[in-house]
Amino acid sequence: MKIGVVWRALVVAMIGLVAPAVSAWAQPAGTLLVGLVAEPVNLDPAQVTDLNSNRVGRRIVETLVTFPEESTQVVPGLAESWTISKDGLRYTFKLRRGVTFHDGTPFNAEAVKFSIERQIDPEHPFNKLGKYPFANYFFGNVKAVEAVDPATAEFVLKEPRASFLTILTSAAASIVSPTAVKKFGADYALQPVGTGPFKYASWDRGQRVVLEKNPSYWRYPVKIERVVYRPIVEGQARLTELLTGSLDLIVDVPPDFVTQVESSPKATLQKQVGAHVWYLGINNQKKPFDDKRVRQALNYAVNKEAIVRDVLKGTGSLSRGPVLPATWGADSGLKPYPYDPERAKKLLAEAGYPSGFSTTLWVPESGSGMQSPVPMSTVIQSNLKAVGVSVTLQTMEWGAYLAKLRTKEQELFALSWMAGNEDPDMVMYPLLHSSQWTPAGPNRALYKNERFDELLQQARLTTDQGKRAALYREAQRILVDDPPWIFIDHEIQTAALAKRVQGFKLHPSFDLRVETISLK
Amino acid sequence: VRRYVVRRLALLVPVLLGVSVIIFMVLHLSPGDPAEIMLGSQATQADLDRLRAELGLTEPLYVQYVHWLGLVARGDLGRSIWMKRPVLGEVLGRFKATLILTGAALVLSTAVGLALGIASAVRPNSPLDRLSAVASLFGASMPVFWLGIVLMVIFALWLGWLPASGMFAPYGGGDLRDLLVHLALPAVTLAAASVTIIARLTRSTMLETLGQDYIRTARAKGVVERAVVLRHGLKNALIPIVTVVGVQAGYLLGGAVLTETVFAWPGVGTLMVQGILARDFPLVQGCVLVVALSFVLINLIVDLLYAWLDPRIRYE
Repeated sequence: MKIGVVWRALVVAMIGLVAPAVSAWAQPAGTLLVGLVAEPVNLDPAQVTDLNSNRVGRRIVETLVTFPEESTQVVPGLAESWTISKDGLRYTFKLRRGVTFHDGTPFNAEAVKFSIERQIDPEHPFNKLGKYPFANYFFGNVKAVEAVDPATAEFVLKEPRASFLTILTSAAASIVSPTAVKKFGADYALQPVGTGPFKYASWDRGQRVVLEKNPSYWRYPVKIERVVYRPIVEGQARLTELLTGSLDLIVDVPPDFVTQVESSPKATLQKQVGAHVWYLGINNQKKPFDDKRVRQALNYAVNKEAIVRDVLKGTGSLSRGPVLPATWGADSGLKPYPYDPERAKKLLAEAGYPSGFSTTLWVPESGSGMQSPVPMSTVIQSNLKAVGVSVTLQTMEWGAYLAKLRTKEQELFALSWMAGNEDPDMVMYPLLHSSQWTPAGPNRALYKNERFDELLQQARLTTDQGKRAALYREAQRILVDDPPWIFIDHEIQTAALAKRVQGFKLHPSFDLRVETISLK
Repeated sequence: VRRYVVRRLALLVPVLLGVSVIIFMVLHLSPGDPAEIMLGSQATQADLDRLRAELGLTEPLYVQYVHWLGLVARGDLGRSIWMKRPVLGEVLGRFKATLILTGAALVLSTAVGLALGIASAVRPNSPLDRLSAVASLFGASMPVFWLGIVLMVIFALWLGWLPASGMFAPYGGGDLRDLLVHLALPAVTLAAASVTIIARLTRSTMLETLGQDYIRTARAKGVVERAVVLRHGLKNALIPIVTVVGVQAGYLLGGAVLTETVFAWPGVGTLMVQGILARDFPLVQGCVLVVALSFVLINLIVDLLYAWLDPRIRYE
């Protein structure tokens, strides 16, 4: 039969085509293959709000001030030095000379002015060509940006704010090539041009983003030729690609795979605590939570060690408050609430709930920085049950969850905050100052403590870091005595590296700095 | 026949309109909007208000819908809110990848399903028939997600024969062989459930057909057994099978999303899920339109195939 012959030929041809594939994907020299959890949305850091986009976009553009290799202290970036006026309203930056954007445009004060003003000035010709979600959050306090001379840029603020330098390290403060924005218009977000260690090369949708090295990078010579970023959602697929040599670096190793990577001869696991906090919010205005003894009791009732050990498999570090331990603003004397269910029961009895009460806990199914929200909340639920508080879990999709939190109807809710820097103002003020109550701001616990408010306000107006630290330490002690949330953990980021990758370090800001890598 | 096709194509317009209205309403009435998700947990009321106004979300729903419809009429599906890209190009590009995957899965499931079904029908209750019954049970009850990961662990991680994910090699590559190698695991995963359905159906319709008088006649007049089975048996058994294969084509198109997620296949399914999670209205509407369109076209093709298989069928 003719058909049979054709079929057989086809099958043989297919096998011939596929069989020798095993050796087909050798690693190309000088090319670093990175597996991301999701595809970048676009590459203009001023127009995105997610980690994955920024992890790629920030290789292309840079900021005036930045973080050194292993911490989140502010150090010079595109600016060599700066001065702050006595009244805290003028920040003057001396810019690095001789730096050019990838398209040859010189980096100067005009570019600084352009990069910020396109976001905050509705009359700016390029304002309408993009959407800048955090323009107001970060730069709402900026009155003007002035180009004093080509090498001097000055920011004028509406009111003093001591964390302004830290704000300028954020992705939204990246300096872009004005020529490129003018040339590409609305498409600029898809092919950004900056001064960074890598330049944009190509993007196959859903498959890969390729960046090529910037041969004349001002800071140091980059040792790899290019980076290929691949979006792979499924954890097992990401890990398999790494172990079979099709990827060199993956981030966010799912907790259940941590031991597998640690015991593999083909990969190394890296861990680094991030500037992040995972908390169980409490509605401080609702009964019975308006009694601080009840909130203290809840903190004693939850076994944080067990959550970190059994659910997160060690990818979290115990939280004693919103501020990251071992940074300048943290109070090193502070201890996390111990797990003490007896004490919790006693406090509940004192507050008038000897046989506990019933409440609901809202949990998102997933979400940025949420780690493993449902399993973590399930442990919390059973911990609270043990002291007589009966909790109903309500899981929601992330978008619906955010909308629901603005109704102020929440009792208990699981949430996290990824500040990406160590300035206490950037985490305590938005989350806990009473002026930031939802829906106006992100204080969804509706927390209000007058002394605490006062301390934060005072710290904002103080430029001296030593004095600010003292104020923040007092504020943190207040949060222990009058807890707004149940403190849970700070995420420990994980990355798995192939053996040929050298010189990589995870950064506490959650940035993914592949420019320091060399390949063996 | 031509008039029939024209009439069916004309019917496309109300169908797509209906689909777009439903998807528009569902998306806009579900809690959370693009501004909310973009700003995430750091949202302030001022930022939300400003962003909503910029995105045109403060207008009444029907104004937003009519505006979108106006764009579509001009062949423009708008720009994605998140990605800032024109939706049309984005969706078509991704749809191509989905078509390759579903096409491969459909060919695979039809070929294997037919072969298994015929073999079982020719020798009912033979060991092969029993084996195929058990295999079918497995195929039908295995979740795609689980099967995909198991295949990946066996063939990529342990044996190292096939790549674990993606459509092409991470860098370089891009030829036909590269594509086929990457296609193998996702296509098998996606095809598994359909193989079962097609095999079981083929078996039962073939059993029925092979018991007909004309088959006995064919055998009596000395036709070779293979021709009896394939030409006299199979062709007459095909009508219900084609119907099911057509339904499967639609099912695979929609069901590809899980397979695409497991294997990081750059298809329209994953794009649509991302779009829904981000409430990226123009993007989701674009995806749904393209998928709905292909669904309707597949149905039309199936209907046309009937006449070819059974010349007694006429189109009115």
